[in-house]
Amino acid sequence: MTYTVLRILTYVLGITGSSLLLPVAVAAIEGERHMLAPFLIPMAIAWGLAAVFWLKVREKPKVIGIQDAFSVVGILWIVICLFGAIPLYFSGAFPSFTDAMFESVSGFTTTGATVLANVESLPRSVNIWRCETHWLGGMGVVALAVAMIPLLGAGGFRLIKAETSGPDKTKLTSSVATTAKLLWFFYIGMTIAATFLLWRYGMDYVDALCHAFSSMGTGGFSSRNGSVGSFGLPAAEWTCTLFMLLASVNFMLYCRLLTGHFSEAFRNSELRAFLLIVIASSLALFCIEGRSFRDACFQVASILSTTGFMTGDYTTYLPASQIVLAALFLVGGCSGSAAGGVKIIRWTVLAKQFVNEMHRLIHPYGVFSLRINGAPVRDGVVSTVSAFIFAYIALIMISAIAGAAAGLDLVTAISGAFSMVGNVGPAFGELGPTSNYGFIPSPLKWWYMIAMLAGRLEIYTLLLLFGNMVRKHPRS
Amino acid sequence: MKIVIIGAGFTGSLLAKALIAERNKVILIDKSPERVRSAGDQLDCTVIEADGTDLDILEKAGIASADALVTLTGDDEINMITCSLTDAIYPDVLKIARVRNYDYYTRTVDIVRKGKNRLSENGRPVFGIDHIINPDVAVASSISRAMEIGAAGSATEIEGGYEIIVLPVAEESPLSGKKLRELAAIPEWKYLVAFVESNGETELPCGDTVLNTGDHVGVLVRNSEVPKLLRFAGVISTPINRVAIFGADNIGALTVAAQEDRKKAFWRAFLKLGKTKSRELLVIDRDAELCRKLADKFPDARILNGDITDDGFLLSEGVCDCDLMVAASGNYERNLLTAAYLKLRGVTKAIALTLDSAFSGIAAKLGVDVTVPMRDVVIDTIMSHLRGRNIKAVHSVGARKFEIVSCEVSSKGEVAGKKLRELEELNGSLVLLIRQPECSSYEIPNGGTELREGALVVLIMPSGDSEILEMFAGKPEMTA
Repeated sequence: MTYTVLRILTYVLGITGSSLLLPVAVAAIEGERHMLAPFLIPMAIAWGLAAVFWLKVREKPKVIGIQDAFSVVGILWIVICLFGAIPLYFSGAFPSFTDAMFESVSGFTTTGATVLANVESLPRSVNIWRCETHWLGGMGVVALAVAMIPLLGAGGFRLIKAETSGPDKTKLTSSVATTAKLLWFFYIGMTIAATFLLWRYGMDYVDALCHAFSSMGTGGFSSRNGSVGSFGLPAAEWTCTLFMLLASVNFMLYCRLLTGHFSEAFRNSELRAFLLIVIASSLALFCIEGRSFRDACFQVASILSTTGFMTGDYTTYLPASQIVLAALFLVGGCSGSAAGGVKIIRWTVLAKQFVNEMHRLIHPYGVFSLRINGAPVRDGVVSTVSAFIFAYIALIMISAIAGAAAGLDLVTAISGAFSMVGNVGPAFGELGPTSNYGFIPSPLKWWYMIAMLAGRLEIYTLLLLFGNMVRKHPRS
Repeated sequence: MKIVIIGAGFTGSLLAKALIAERNKVILIDKSPERVRSAGDQLDCTVIEADGTDLDILEKAGIASADALVTLTGDDEINMITCSLTDAIYPDVLKIARVRNYDYYTRTVDIVRKGKNRLSENGRPVFGIDHIINPDVAVASSISRAMEIGAAGSATEIEGGYEIIVLPVAEESPLSGKKLRELAAIPEWKYLVAFVESNGETELPCGDTVLNTGDHVGVLVRNSEVPKLLRFAGVISTPINRVAIFGADNIGALTVAAQEDRKKAFWRAFLKLGKTKSRELLVIDRDAELCRKLADKFPDARILNGDITDDGFLLSEGVCDCDLMVAASGNYERNLLTAAYLKLRGVTKAIALTLDSAFSGIAAKLGVDVTVPMRDVVIDTIMSHLRGRNIKAVHSVGARKFEIVSCEVSSKGEVAGKKLRELEELNGSLVLLIRQPECSSYEIPNGGTELREGALVVLIMPSGDSEILEMFAGKPEMTA
């Protein structure tokens, strides 16, 4: 167990350290000399630790058990968030370590809830780091590590299972490392495309990178206070809409497309449901609100993909449109994507089960099969999904109670809980899109961090980690 | 012809009997002394008590000079491997294996389909088996055909889009009391009566034959005109929209699959604004596991897990409102009783799968409209393959008294070049359809039709009358 954790930790630290190169480069180019140290110090620590661990583990066995996988991923995510918080804290822009940590967790879990009122005054290198955390967290740092670790064997798949979303996870290729590499290949490719388009449509390179990272990770941090809307670039807004939607589609489907399985992608129940929801809610919003169609699409994509970008303040919309958006908070993107939320596949399974139950009332002797993507699913899926949704709603309820206890009003407490667990970012009420999380008390910030992590790792991973910690005789 | 049959069970003995009746030389091989004794007592053929998989035994039985080998043991693997082994040494012998395992069957058929081009290069069949007979597939297609004509009678598919439909002559039917000559004068009657079953006797008709109430007529009709015929004869009263299938194992599944294919055809028909309607299918079985599998496979059919004799079950699922009941489980007696019981409870028509045609009489008394005899269907299928190269298909009718044969007019046959009315020796047989060498479709011939060489003819004739066959096709050749 220890060696496995150390081995993966080595890679994850290496990746985290290397990812700090980008803000360092931006700091150097933009002449932010005072920002070099806050980035270089954690980079040195990460690389140093990685080197030490490497010497310790390189000769050790490379196996991982299923019990370990969940704990390992949970621990790694906490460590990554800690490392992400260090540069933010030392940049001096955050009043306390709690705030820096909140920003970092919000970044890596692709929530995009900020504690800052004015992000435009931040050094550009800090902004790029905030958005880069979205990008790293979106596809999953552990998946990236698995892609790079040779000979991890079947254990690697367990790690990816613990990190990626969705009820049913399949290996795409014969080897898990190849699968992880393919996923990251698409992710990087699309990010490059998004950056280029945003730059082409009028953003400068830092803003383009920030918003590309944020869109692809479905995060929501922006380098402007007014988010994407403040640029006043319709083409850039369309670009963000497109890439937010692309990032909330199961990445496995892109791989299937690449290998020529077009019909399989077309038959995908989740993708169909996703497109239906996007089109229906965009039209609904457009008709109710009567504003531009671009705005309607953008808001729907932003909330459904759990990004949390904005072009306008939706809390000023009509109640009917607010309800449409509030419903999308709970839906989320597709499984295996960078998006958060309950995931459409789970709702699809439950909806189909509901229809089956209706049939069963009329035909008490009937045998009904539940089909996803045109094929019958195994029996356990429905109960797995139901259990997940129970845990998810329970977590939202607890978070809402925690919010209310900390003095938030009803709408804010409930919508805040939805937003945190679903990794959306903005909420309603006092935590609306034009507001920020800076004012909430520290204990609630810490609870929200747990909620964000639990939401990102689909509850079980974090729950099992804590379960292992409190167990008296941990599995040897 | 010389035919070696391995396995002297029910099917093997029945097949041997049918082949002996056609004056073929049959060698029956079986391991069990008891079966060998009973076969030897009943059948006029060589019966050998030995292991048929042993090549030495096969050679002693004269496989080298045999025309065909049929393996009918209870074991699929033995059936297949025996054919394969024989094929390695005697590639010219026609090999037919019965394979009960549906997976083996489909996989082999799939291989043949996928490797069509590659296999034809050296001309060898997969596993060395020329024809794989799967009883379930044969029976299911028989059931599906009966369903197609609304269980109004039985249907046999003939070459070129024609079918023979056996219809009862009811009292109120316009056919009743008519001479065939009179029938032919009615402009709507564009069909040919192939045979008439009267008081249990099957005869080939002539112009003066009278159709009496209670007779059954075998009518040759084009596929597309079946509904018209049924309406004309007054057999179809209500369309079949709701079908209950009892039994969720292979036969049930294959029947459902055939109906699903029909649905696809429905969409094609819909585009052409055809009249085919989609049917509601109910499949009933007590076995939960079978039901589960079927539900996974056919999401559009309603799969019900319950006891068909349970009154509460029948009522709550509305089984009695069905237009057609197909009892196709593995329990043949239960099939008969279920079909009869449900007819009593209000189902309009019923089809039952039975073990062999001996049950047909009981079934008719019980009110079951159509029986599909398992063994007879299998034997028919095997027999259709056991003909010479020039003979394409065989279907037996009228309790095996007559058979419908499709063959090519060969230059070696006496009839080549003659007109139909010149053939007086054709007594006891009737040419139903002909396709001239340059034509692409079959037609019903008349007296002036010439039997040119290379023409394909479909005729009905007394079973196993090889002389008539030889007149058309020349001496049969098994090997090529």
